[in-house]
Amino acid sequence: MTTLMRYAGVGIVCLGLAMFVTGCGGKKTGGPVVELLPIEGNPLVSLRIVLNVGSAHDPAGKEGLAQLTLNLLANGGSRDLTFQEISERFYPMAARLGLRVDKEMSAFSGTVHVDNLEAYYAILRGMLLEPGFREEDFTRIKTNQVNFLERTLVNNMDEQFGKEILNLMLYEDHPYGRNEAGTVESVSNLTLDDVRSFYKEHFLRGNFTIGLAGGYPDGFVEKVTADFAALPEGRTPQLVLPETRMPSGLEFMIAEKQTPATAISMGFPVKLTRADKDFFALWIAGAHFGEHRQSLSLLFQKIREERGQNYGNYAYIEHFIQGRDKFPATNYARQQQYFSIWIRPLANSNRHFVVRQALRELRKLVEEGIPEERFELTRTYLLNYTRLYAQTLDERIGWQIDSRHYGTRDFLDDVQKRLPRISREDVNRAIRKHLNFDNVMIAVITEDAESLRDALIADTPSPISYANPNMPAEILQEDLVIQSYALGVRPETVRIAPATAFFRKAGLPME
Amino acid sequence: MTKFLCAAIALSLILPAAALAAESKIFPFDYRIEEIDNGLKVVSIPLDNPHIIAFYTIVRAGSRNEVEPGKSGFAHFFEHMMFKGTKDVPKEAYDEFLTRLGAGTNGYTTDDYTCYFVVFAGRENLEEVVRIEADRFLNLYYDEEMLKTEAPVIEGEYYASASNPDRRLFELLRDTAFEKHSYKHTTLGYLRDILDMPNQYEYSRLFKQRFYAPDNTILLVAGDFDHARLMALVREHYGAWEPSGYSLQTPVEPPQTKAKRAHYPWPSKTLPRMAMAYRGPAYTTESIDKAALDLLAEIAFSSSSPLYQRLVIEEQKCVSLGASFADRRDPYLLVLSSVLRNDEDLPYVEKAILDELERIKTEPVDEKKLADVKSNLKYSFARVLGTTDGIAGSLAHSINLAADPGTVNALYGLYEKVTPADIQEAARKYFVPAASTTVTLTGGGQ
Repeated sequence: MTTLMRYAGVGIVCLGLAMFVTGCGGKKTGGPVVELLPIEGNPLVSLRIVLNVGSAHDPAGKEGLAQLTLNLLANGGSRDLTFQEISERFYPMAARLGLRVDKEMSAFSGTVHVDNLEAYYAILRGMLLEPGFREEDFTRIKTNQVNFLERTLVNNMDEQFGKEILNLMLYEDHPYGRNEAGTVESVSNLTLDDVRSFYKEHFLRGNFTIGLAGGYPDGFVEKVTADFAALPEGRTPQLVLPETRMPSGLEFMIAEKQTPATAISMGFPVKLTRADKDFFALWIAGAHFGEHRQSLSLLFQKIREERGQNYGNYAYIEHFIQGRDKFPATNYARQQQYFSIWIRPLANSNRHFVVRQALRELRKLVEEGIPEERFELTRTYLLNYTRLYAQTLDERIGWQIDSRHYGTRDFLDDVQKRLPRISREDVNRAIRKHLNFDNVMIAVITEDAESLRDALIADTPSPISYANPNMPAEILQEDLVIQSYALGVRPETVRIAPATAFFRKAGLPME
Repeated sequence: MTKFLCAAIALSLILPAAALAAESKIFPFDYRIEEIDNGLKVVSIPLDNPHIIAFYTIVRAGSRNEVEPGKSGFAHFFEHMMFKGTKDVPKEAYDEFLTRLGAGTNGYTTDDYTCYFVVFAGRENLEEVVRIEADRFLNLYYDEEMLKTEAPVIEGEYYASASNPDRRLFELLRDTAFEKHSYKHTTLGYLRDILDMPNQYEYSRLFKQRFYAPDNTILLVAGDFDHARLMALVREHYGAWEPSGYSLQTPVEPPQTKAKRAHYPWPSKTLPRMAMAYRGPAYTTESIDKAALDLLAEIAFSSSSPLYQRLVIEEQKCVSLGASFADRRDPYLLVLSSVLRNDEDLPYVEKAILDELERIKTEPVDEKKLADVKSNLKYSFARVLGTTDGIAGSLAHSINLAADPGTVNALYGLYEKVTPADIQEAARKYFVPAASTTVTLTGGGQ
C-alpha cells in the first residue's frame, strides 16, 4: 500500500468515527469531520481547524462576541502557558495560529515544518481546547477590537469601510447584518463571562472540521481527531436565516467624511451559492463583468482603462475575500450570498458620473447578456486561471473543506468538468434570473454628501473632464450618454450619516 | 485521480525535505545564470513540478532612479505604461493572450527595481510567453494621448490609500530623513508630481531609453521547463534588444549630524503612530553588518522580544511594534515603528525603545535568543519556497540586489556566523542619536 493510500485509508476510518448520528429533537452528534491531504515526504504540514460558527451566531446585543472569543483563543494564553510563553515557543518555529472569522464559518490555520509539528500542535491544542481566558488577554484583545471599529475602520481604510456599509445595508435585521467585529457599544459591554459562555455553547465536537495536509507522520491524524472528539458532543444547529430583502429602487447610504476621494460599493442579495446549478453560469457572467483585479473585468476596462478614473473596478457573485496573491481565500462559506460591485476610490468630482457608469454597464449586462466572444474568452480564462488557485497546502486543504461544505466532490475539479458544458445561453439565463439593475444598494464614502444627494435626486447631469485633450470620439460620445443617464433616485432612499456614526450601535446609523 | 490533482501534489514536493539540514544551503534548488550577448541575464530554476512556470522580468529601475526634481513616482508610472502593448501586439491582444492563458500576472515597483511577472500553467505555453513578453520590452508603443489617459490612474492609486495614516507617516519619515538621495520620496511619489504626469511624455521616452534595456534587466524563470530550450527562446526573442549603457548616478546623501523630528496631524480620529529611523548600510554580504542588523531587529523588536512583550502584551501601551531593516542598493534606513493606543504614551514608548537600543549596545544578547532568531529566519524562508511563484517572488528581490540567487545562501551563511559581539557592535555603530529621525502622527476629530 502506498503512503497516499494508507493515509487515505486513515481518513476514511476517521471519517467513519466522525459520522453523525442524527435524530429529531435532542440530536446526538458525532464529530469532528476530518479532511485529509497526506503528501509523503513533504516537509510542511498545514492545519486548518474550521468551526461552523461565526458572527451570525452573536447573540443580539453582543455583536462581536464570536470574533472576540476566537481571537482570545488565537492570541491569548492557554491554561498552561501565558501568551508571552506561547509567542516565545512559536517564534523559533516561525509559527503562528491564524484566524479568520466570517458570518457562519471561522477558521484557525497554521503551517509548520514537520520538524516542529509535535511541539506546535501541543501548544495549539492547549490554546483551542484548554484556553486560559486570562483577564489581561481579554482586555488587550477587546480594546483592539473597539479601536478597530472606532478609529481604524471608519478613518483609515475607506475601501473596506464601503464594503462593510454595504453589508449593513444588505442585511438589515438579519444575522449577517453585523460587522464581525461588532459595534463599539456591544464590544465595550462584553465580559469574560460572555466569552466563556460562547465558548462553552459552541465548542462542540460536531462543529469542527479538521483539515490536515502535507507530510504529517503516522498517528497524527488519530491524535488530533481524538483531541477534538473529546469536546462535548453536539453541534450548533445551522442558522435558519430570514429571507433577504431586495432593495426597492436605488438605495443609497452616504457616509460623510473629509476625504479627497470617494469609495463606492454596491450590490444586492442573490439566491444562489456554489451548490446551486446556476452557479457556474453566473460565475462566468461575474468574471466577464468584474473579475477581481484582472484586466478581463469589463468594469475595469470601461472605468479605468478607457477613462483613467481610478485604480480598479470589480464585481463578485458571492462574498469575496482575497487570499494569496489575487486568488479567492477559502472557508468563507455562507448559506446566502450577494452580488456586489467594488469601485475603488476616485476623485470626488467624478463620483456621480461613475455611479451612473457602473449602473448603466450593469443594465447592459442584464439586458444584453454576455457577448459571444466574451463568453468564450471568460470561460477559457476561468478554466486556466483556476488551475493556479490551490498551490499551497493551506489553499488545497481549504478548497477541499469548502467543497465538502457545499456538497460538491471537488470544486476545482468540477470547474474543469462543468465549465466546458455551459453555453452562452446558460449564462444569459442565469444573468436574467439572478441579476438586476434597478434595485441596488449603494454605499458611498465621500465629502459634501448633501450635494451628492441633491444631484442624485435631481438627476443632474454629471460631465467629467480629462487630462488628455484628445480623448477618442467614441468615448466622449458615450460620456454624453452616461452623464445624463437617468437613475430615478427617490429622495426617501438616500440616507446620509457622518462616518463616525457607523459601527457605534447595531445596524445603520439613523440620519 | 485527475491530471490536475497529480500536478498539485507534485508541486508540493518541490521543497526538499533536507532543505533545513544544518549543512545545507537555505536556497536548496539548482539554478543557472547565463548572459546573452546584449547583456540580458537569465536566472533559470527548473523545478520538478509539472505544469506551472513563473516568468519574471526584473528591471533594475525603481524610485531610486528618479533623481531629477519633479519626477518622483515615475518608475511606478512607467510600470503602468509597460502594459500598453506594441504595434504588433496591441494592448487588447496582449490582455487577451494572458486572459486565455489564465495567467496570474501583474507588475510592481519598489525603491530599487520594477518586476513584471506571468505565472501560468502548461510548459507548452512557454514559447508564446517568451515571445509576447520580449515583444513588449523591445517594441513597447504608446502615444502621448495614451499616457495622458493612464496618468490619472496613478492619482486613483494614490487615492486608494489616501485614508491610510501609515502611508502618510512613511512618506513623512523618508522626506524628513533624506536630504538628497532619491529614497527621500516613496515609490508612489509626491502628489504634486503625480498630478504632473500627464505632461511627462518626453521624459517617459528618456526613462525607457535609460533603464528598460537588456543590460539593466534580469529574467528569472522558475518551474517546469527545459533550460536549453528557454535559452534558445530568449536568444531568439530578446537578442535584438539594444543595450543602453546608461549609468545611473544617485545623489550621495550627506552624513546626518543632528537628530530630526517631524509630526503629522491626521485630520480624523486614529491610533497614534511613531516611526524612528537610523541611517543603515546598503545591502551587502561582504561584511557582517547587514546580517547582524537583521538579527538585531528580530531579537529586540519581534513578537517574542522582551520589549514587545512588555509594551504590547503586558503594559498594552502599543498595538504593534516592529523593526524593518530593509535591503536596499544604497544606504537606507533602519526603521523602528509602533502603533500606540493613546497619544500621551508617545514619549513613554519612545523612551522605552531608546533604552532598549542602549541596552543592546552594552549587554550582549542571550545565546539562546540568538539561536531562536536564526531558527525563525530559516523556517520563515523555507515556507515561501512551497510554490513556484513563491520561489520566484522571493528571489526577485535578492536578484535585484546581487543578480545571483547565491546571495541568499551567502546572507543566511552570514546569519549563522553572527555572534552577540557582532550585534553589539552593529548597535553601537548604527544607532547613533545624531543620525536619527523620529516622526509621529496623531489624530484629531471626534
